[in-house]
Amino acid sequence: MPSYNRRSFLRLGLGVTVLGAVGAGCAPAKPASKKEDSRTFTIYWNAGHGYQAYKQVIDQFGKDHDLQMNWQKFQWPDLTTKLTADFRSGNVPDLVEEVSAGTGTQYGLAGNVLALDEFAAADKEFGFPGDFLDQAVVARQYEGKTYSIPLHLTANGLLFYNKQLLSAAGSDQPPSTWDEFLEVAKATTKDKVSGCALNSDPSYAAPYYNQQKVDFSGAGAKQFMLPADGALKTLQWMQDLIYTHKVSPAPVATTDYSGPQKLFSAKRAAMFVSGPWDIGPIRQGSPDIELGLAVPLTGAVQSAAMAGSGLMIPAKAKDPKLSWELITKLAAVKTELAATKEAGMSMPRKSWAADPAVAADPNLATIAKALAVVAKQDVALSASGKAAQVNELWKKAYQQMIIQHAPVGPALDDFRKQAGAAL
Amino acid sequence: MIRRRQALTAWLFLTPAVLFFVLLFFLPIGNQLMTGLYDADGVFAGLSNFSRAFRDPEVLHSFLITLAYAAGTLVVGTAVGLGLAVILNQSLRGRTLFRSVLLIPYLTSVSIIGLLWRNILDPQVGILNRLLEAVGLPGQTWLSTHPLATIVGITVWSGAGYTMVLFLAGLQGIPGLYYEAARIDGAGPWRRFFAITLPLLAPTTVFVSIIGLIGTLQQFALPYIVTGGGPGNATSLYAHRLFIVAFNDNDFGYASALSLLLLIVVLILSLVQLRIGDRADA
Repeated sequence: MPSYNRRSFLRLGLGVTVLGAVGAGCAPAKPASKKEDSRTFTIYWNAGHGYQAYKQVIDQFGKDHDLQMNWQKFQWPDLTTKLTADFRSGNVPDLVEEVSAGTGTQYGLAGNVLALDEFAAADKEFGFPGDFLDQAVVARQYEGKTYSIPLHLTANGLLFYNKQLLSAAGSDQPPSTWDEFLEVAKATTKDKVSGCALNSDPSYAAPYYNQQKVDFSGAGAKQFMLPADGALKTLQWMQDLIYTHKVSPAPVATTDYSGPQKLFSAKRAAMFVSGPWDIGPIRQGSPDIELGLAVPLTGAVQSAAMAGSGLMIPAKAKDPKLSWELITKLAAVKTELAATKEAGMSMPRKSWAADPAVAADPNLATIAKALAVVAKQDVALSASGKAAQVNELWKKAYQQMIIQHAPVGPALDDFRKQAGAAL
Repeated sequence: MIRRRQALTAWLFLTPAVLFFVLLFFLPIGNQLMTGLYDADGVFAGLSNFSRAFRDPEVLHSFLITLAYAAGTLVVGTAVGLGLAVILNQSLRGRTLFRSVLLIPYLTSVSIIGLLWRNILDPQVGILNRLLEAVGLPGQTWLSTHPLATIVGITVWSGAGYTMVLFLAGLQGIPGLYYEAARIDGAGPWRRFFAITLPLLAPTTVFVSIIGLIGTLQQFALPYIVTGGGPGNATSLYAHRLFIVAFNDNDFGYASALSLLLLIVVLILSLVQLRIGDRADA
């Protein structure tokens, strides 16, 4: 009869623990979690777009299909980081909101998201691409394939202005040209109020350089920010708003793009240039501000930058057909109208634009005018797979010029050189 | 037989720790080394990712500012922590409360600290400029004019409590007898500090500096949250650069090589510090 002492039990217990740990570590994880996973539908979404209109659609979709809806919301940079890691691990969500047109193409050409043309062709009722505005569709296509469906269609370049502040400075009408903009900005700059506010996010420079007929990229020829004299004029003018005319504070470098909107809401800035996504926060945060919304400024031409998210299905999504079904519900005209009513967001469907509620809304009419002058996007840059890298280089150059007051010419030259090398 | 039994028992006790390190440290490091041998398109690239790091101006810039950040944080952080420890080692009223309060930033999530300071320091809507305006002082724009020094300051603020606790433990290990003898010999407070306190705190100082160095060389979250690595690339520390290479440029091979190079640098600097500590002890 073997004798057992405390040490024997300790040894036995430890042995069992180790074996258990090794066994658990070596066991395949999938079968156990598969059943639960198959009933969970995961969506990655932008934190600023979590509208009730979408929540209702998603909740109903979950009920209809007996699914646990896992609606995860992130800031854009965090969504991109998580998605990149997911693509590498193969553990992907079922549906993803696309940050901007072209991102889906970049992922699609790398085999990470699906081309959606076959789904759309088989689903005539959805009306893609026929019922969608061309610019929103074309920017998401490459070599005949569409990698995402437009969810929002907006324009960055709208002029937000505080009617009371402009009126107090003697301006009853918002500025329409660069000269007028500077004049009004000077007139409204008083005490703690700045005439305007520039953004630290480099994508907010796009309307300005588009208004000088500058193309951000010509990826085919590895060219950036050309013509050079237009680019120089634009960035110098922006820099002068801060350091020469002192009508805008220097923005602070952050990952947040809402700095000018916050200043405007705090009545510390009379004007800023942005898109419809800032209408909601101003209305909700500062209902006493008489918000004016004007069409994009005219430099050499009147222009705006296209913006707006899309929807894409990861190539390894569990059930792409199910994901497509949710896309058709989220991008249905009924949902679009509900989201517009809730948040003032503009949408890509022609039938949305034709709706009487939309046509009668003065802000939406202004957005529609801005959409009519959006600059063309360089699809080849997205297709190169280097768009994110080039954008990071542009961020560095832009912040050096606008925040750190670096000389504009050399900073632009450096950017062109580095971006060309990246391609 | 007893020896074998003892060896078996020892191995059983060691196995969880060995498994932990093998599965969670050595295997990932090996995996990273393998990934570092491939380029962004998954083609075998040998050691080119490693050699590329030495020619990459962005990486060299990020490495240099990381060294500056580490040096600033270590020097200022150690001095502040030691100063606080010396003050709160005296018999003051409410010292337990002060010690606890000073430790709160260290116990707070770095995300909260980052957001907190970003909001405090915002030149237009931040509370600091409101306070400065209220007392008639000009507003600051440190996040734009001195971004790296600002990040150093926030790091020191958040870590000072922890450093203070370590130094307090060291101070309480110094026998009061030495101070008594020095006092009898006529040594003043400064003399006692430099002749007794500082030399006897050498092991604590070495520990604080090694832990601090490892932490600062790996710093990512604070600049990411407060400045996003900007303005320009002024606060794009090495780990932030590494993150951009991996998740923005999608070049995991190069990012793996960069992280292994960082591991080597941390190991070398830690060994140097240990050697210096050994000499000081001797």
